[in-house]
Amino acid sequence: MTWRRSWQNQAWNYGRRGLRAYGARRAPPLPLEQKTPALLSSARMILSRNAFASVSSAKFFELTNPYFTKKCYFSSDAWVDLPVGVIVEVPLAQTGEGIAECELLKWFVQEGDEIQEFQPLCEVQSDKATMEITSRYNGRVSEILHHPGEIVKVGETLLKMVVEESSTPTMSADDKDNITFVKSDICDSSHEILLSNKDNIGGALSTPAVRNLAKQYGVNINDIHGTGKDGRVLKEDVLKYITTKGIFREPSASSQETLVEQLPIKEEKSSYTFSVDGWHYEDSTVSLRGFQRSMVKSMTMAAKVPHFHYLEEINCDALVELKAAFQSENSDPQIKHTYLPFLIKSLSMALSKHPSMNSSFNEESHEVILKGCHNIGVAMATPYGLVVPNIKKVQSLSILEVTKELSRLQQLAINNKLSTEDISGGTITLSNIGAIGGKFGSPLLNLPEVAIIAMGRIQKLPRFADDGNVYPASILNVNIGADHRVVDGATVARFCNEWKLLIEKPELLLLHMR
Amino acid sequence: MSTISQARSIGLPLMNIVRFKGAPILHQLYLEEQLLRTSSENWCVINDGTNIPTIVMGISGKPSELLEVRSVLQDQVPVVRRFSGGGTVIVDHGTLFVTFICNKNAVPGVQPYPQPIMSWSSTLYNEVFQGIGHFHLRENDYVFGNRKFGGNAQSITKNRWVHHTSFLWDYEARNMAYLKLPMRTPKYRLARDHEEFVCRMKDFLSREAFIDRTLKAVGTQFSVRPIQSEASSVPHDATFQHSTTMLTKQELEAALPSQSETYELQRF
Repeated sequence: MTWRRSWQNQAWNYGRRGLRAYGARRAPPLPLEQKTPALLSSARMILSRNAFASVSSAKFFELTNPYFTKKCYFSSDAWVDLPVGVIVEVPLAQTGEGIAECELLKWFVQEGDEIQEFQPLCEVQSDKATMEITSRYNGRVSEILHHPGEIVKVGETLLKMVVEESSTPTMSADDKDNITFVKSDICDSSHEILLSNKDNIGGALSTPAVRNLAKQYGVNINDIHGTGKDGRVLKEDVLKYITTKGIFREPSASSQETLVEQLPIKEEKSSYTFSVDGWHYEDSTVSLRGFQRSMVKSMTMAAKVPHFHYLEEINCDALVELKAAFQSENSDPQIKHTYLPFLIKSLSMALSKHPSMNSSFNEESHEVILKGCHNIGVAMATPYGLVVPNIKKVQSLSILEVTKELSRLQQLAINNKLSTEDISGGTITLSNIGAIGGKFGSPLLNLPEVAIIAMGRIQKLPRFADDGNVYPASILNVNIGADHRVVDGATVARFCNEWKLLIEKPELLLLHMR
Repeated sequence: MSTISQARSIGLPLMNIVRFKGAPILHQLYLEEQLLRTSSENWCVINDGTNIPTIVMGISGKPSELLEVRSVLQDQVPVVRRFSGGGTVIVDHGTLFVTFICNKNAVPGVQPYPQPIMSWSSTLYNEVFQGIGHFHLRENDYVFGNRKFGGNAQSITKNRWVHHTSFLWDYEARNMAYLKLPMRTPKYRLARDHEEFVCRMKDFLSREAFIDRTLKAVGTQFSVRPIQSEASSVPHDATFQHSTTMLTKQELEAALPSQSETYELQRF
């Protein structure tokens, strides 16, 4: 068979080069003169990825102590006298929206191999794509933590590397979180893509994260000499430039770039602004990760949806009696009865009559998907942030089963052990903000749902009975937030009336019991 | 080409177009992987149908989970495991294949990650299906309305990526019996079985029209260069280590016991 272009020969040559990259082979060892001895320029030494770069005067002293630093350094090269490297944990970076985990397919390197920056380390698979993960650093593989076939969660450590000292400031600046940031920065929104595209026209090679940093310090990235591959400007180059130029002020939020989604950068607290008297007056920057980070994204999207809010007051006297009855007949010490399971179950009953409240809106096709399952999400405040696991198919669960499932999810949430399954597939959300405090909430939708219900505290308030007398009633205020593209006030009002009736007269549940 | 379109194509990245008709899917995959790993140019490979019905699994596909192994063995259906990710399909002469193999900077604004590439592909096909059906990208599939007619898979390397699609121009319902219902299905599938979930592209346009429109859409973003080739043979670089493999009879037979075990358990 004939080809117009003889790419075959080209391919053969490329193939040979390609094979070297794809086999598990050791890269040629770096010549000795390239390995620089460990310089204890302590202001930039960060010893573990968890150490925050906010260097106080006490830490400053510790870091200059050679004995202290020597203990924390590691080198696997027997023939090098001076300790040269620091162990870095390389995590699986975020590679796309909604991708929480990947399957590890194969390694291109093995323990002991010398690695160069941008060299492929392994191949992973997520959903429809296989992807090569490349190295961020020069160094040596010290420990491989996962085997082919294993599922690795985004953020979990893939391997450990000994990174050379010349890369260390890069490592400290670009630890696990920054890798995540750089890649998710690119994937998260088209705004980010536009930014990186625009910057590529600029001239100096660098990542969007580094460009942002330069902008925030008000320096022109093209003025900075890049020490990375191909003259790439790295974060350490920007910081070194700033130090030499004597720019000690905190970076100001850039007002020139009007990015809609400005993700905060993991800033190194400027190590040269530690205070003399021991007090800290400087601002500290918190980088948003994990649940907090998803909250930024989901709430920004929710803000685009036209919400309306419907308030109602529910008399919970009957519910209070019911809970007391459950608790008094409760023989299982593991189970603690609260109001929530009953509210969840009655919500499900009301949803059966008003399925549009348990639906999802597809903007592109203008379709409302009436969800078959009542997967009721319960918002939980954990030490790690706001998370909304959901109880699946509540319509086929008893109140006791709902109680147990709720307890299970609460335990997992507190320990940050919720699975993707637990937090996805929800069809409506309940937010029991009243457990912490407040009379009313004004909740934002948990997209792609169309309704969310915030419940305040149950308060004892004076109300009029039928005979005209005042009596103390347990009153619960609820605020239903809904997507006005899908449901209107009348629908929500009717739905809420149904739910309210079931709570105020729980015996009506018996009518529907199967 | 008119002067205007010639002028417009200056400055557009180059895309080589290779067209096959009825090429074996294994050879197509060999070619694609080789182009991905050894070429530095952009390629579009179009295969108008494949010669024999073949099952193609993603890179980590396990026959015991994805296939009705007994029937596959009985009917001697070839099973291929491709180098890209994604799910399982059974392809035959009614399947149209379109593959893009690009450098990471080939398409302006498209970063080499699954989502951006998928989005870009949908904008290209939006042009192809302009005014036809109600085309859009739904999760990772191409659909008319809410019925799938095109499935995608990708492989992304350090500097290049592949995005390939198999289009159901037509299919034989009985061939689907070789495939199990996958464990992971897109959300929009809901609980629909195969017949309710997919549709045939031939109900919307002809093969020729589809290929012509695709080439036209590609031409708006790239400077296209057709490469002539014989359909039956594909240059095979003997030193290139392919990741795509054809499963042997032994490998399929090895998947049988675990399938029958599951069946046994389900009976009780």
